Amino acid sequence: MPASRFTQTGNYRTRYQQDQTIFATYAEQASLIVFVLLLLTLPLLLPKTMLRDVNMIMIYAVAVIGLNVTTGYTGLINIGQAAFMGVGAYATALAATRWGLPFFLAIPLGGVAGAVIGTFVGLPSLRLKYLYLAVATLAFQLIFEWSVGHSPLLEQGGAISLPTVQVFGIRDTFLNHNIFWYYLILPVLVALALLWRNVLRTRHGRSLIAVRDNDRAAAAMGIHPGTAKLTAFMIGSFYAGIAGGLFAYFQKAVVIEDYGLSISVQLLAMAIVGGLGSLPGSFLGPLFIVALDRTMEKASQWLGGLNLFPEGVDVTSALRPLSFGLAIVLFLMFEPRGLANWWRLVRMYFKKWPYKF
Amino acid sequence: MELLPQLLLAGVVIGSIYALAALGFVLIYKSSRVINFAHGQIIASGAFIAFALTQAGMNLWLAGLIAMVATFLLGMLIERVFLRRMVGEPIIAVIMVTIGLASVIDGLLHLTPYGAGNYSFPTPAVLGGQGIELFGTQLSRIQLTGVLASLALLAGFTYFFNKSTLGITMRAVADDQMAAMSVGTSVERVFALAWAAAGLTAAAAGVILGLMSGLTLGGLAGIGLKVFPVVILGGLDSVAGAIVGGILIGILENLSAGYLDGLVPGGGTREVFPFIILIAVLLVRPYGLFGTKEIERV
Repeated sequence: MPASRFTQTGNYRTRYQQDQTIFATYAEQASLIVFVLLLLTLPLLLPKTMLRDVNMIMIYAVAVIGLNVTTGYTGLINIGQAAFMGVGAYATALAATRWGLPFFLAIPLGGVAGAVIGTFVGLPSLRLKYLYLAVATLAFQLIFEWSVGHSPLLEQGGAISLPTVQVFGIRDTFLNHNIFWYYLILPVLVALALLWRNVLRTRHGRSLIAVRDNDRAAAAMGIHPGTAKLTAFMIGSFYAGIAGGLFAYFQKAVVIEDYGLSISVQLLAMAIVGGLGSLPGSFLGPLFIVALDRTMEKASQWLGGLNLFPEGVDVTSALRPLSFGLAIVLFLMFEPRGLANWWRLVRMYFKKWPYKF
Repeated sequence: MELLPQLLLAGVVIGSIYALAALGFVLIYKSSRVINFAHGQIIASGAFIAFALTQAGMNLWLAGLIAMVATFLLGMLIERVFLRRMVGEPIIAVIMVTIGLASVIDGLLHLTPYGAGNYSFPTPAVLGGQGIELFGTQLSRIQLTGVLASLALLAGFTYFFNKSTLGITMRAVADDQMAAMSVGTSVERVFALAWAAAGLTAAAAGVILGLMSGLTLGGLAGIGLKVFPVVILGGLDSVAGAIVGGILIGILENLSAGYLDGLVPGGGTREVFPFIILIAVLLVRPYGLFGTKEIERV
């Protein structure tokens, strides 16, 4: 253990148990608690219009944690995370409208539905690796979109609206919609992040990393790579399903456009920009991509007002994919470890501050 | 049966374009093991370059040729600027770079006036007349020219790989990069050439497709997704596989449109059927009909 449990000046760990602790110092623990408390007061500080984006970021963060489980920690490229979100969203919507389940049962049910379908889609991973698996998940994404678009049960991809929610006597109304869901999504996100942080410390979590780094070595150590890969798909798509259920309720309706291929690509971009295989990255990535998107929307409104472009050019639909693509490419070329690496560097700096040695 | 030959013929027509698109994809994969998600966007940029030139009053054939040269250079540029840095990086990074590039090219195309619109090439007089009668179905001159042009290009590339020194060099690099390097082959030059050649075939596919079914960014770039069933069925690293897979997928999707559409509410099975085939092929024979067997079980 460190000389003091308040500051850390080096690595004093002598036993594996010490290595497995989540927080090395009380300072880290305290700063996280302060951060979460700050998050609880965020709706008071932010303008109301931005709260909607914050909610989107948090929902995407849930999905990106899931994507990080499959792609970041286990190394299985998944271009179908939005489809898993969609499975969760449609399951939630059906449970809420057909069976009349309350939201606190419908959303977990969406997660379970996502996990079941995800495990099923993950089955090819028993035989396939790398890009073959990427293509398989891509195919699932397209088949999912098509199937939803053609089933009358799911309104052929049109809007299925969800019932209004009531918690502790407070109703979700037009006026308090964003704040209401902020306080519902935040605990879910924190709980799911803590859950994954802890799963990662167990045998199962560590076996996923072993399979990613070298699946033959993992097999030699007694880990069954197939089971590990299916576990990864199950956990990853469970998170996606929960995110989908939250998204469905937050948007008040399920529409197929919210779960398309481009969203899958966006989720992958979030995971990469944040940093593959890192929990802080799962929050930083969505934050960055959503912020970039909004900035570009503003920028293109401004640019469009200048009349610089020929007739028929929609600046918004040009700048958004352009900036999004550039962000992915530049991050991969210059900072493959993503924003999480910057976060790590900042932390490293302050760990020993003001003593730099 | 009047329907069957018609479906088969339509399948071969669209399949030959899939084959041409898949050829570019295979060229890149074969030489550098990169899956190019931006191929559809390169196809679209080729088609729009040709369209812009015809709008400026240029002859369609000349415009098509210039577009092919332009995408040849574009492919080389993409390889030089973006992909060369990614050598040795994990496979997901390389895949994501091409996905990012697809998005960048999408954005750039939207900056031109053609991004959001729906256009069609001015049909040259030679292609406008009566088509030919084949097995009791009509084949328009545009379709016929498209098939013949695709087949000519495919035959040309097959010849190039089997006979020319450069083609053999490219195959050598594909077989074993280390060995090729040790006998003095410039692997970098081969990578650049593969991307350039892929760009060339992409423009050809784009122009032919544009002639047949009009120019929309979504439609042209969408071919980039259709390529996956084709190359998985044919084998990711086989030129012959691209041709056979392209025509097979073309025929199968038309057959499904002809016979399955009535069974499904809303129809439109042709969009999804190739991907169901893709999953089936992955489960049964992941390396495809002609691909190299390098799959391992866990």
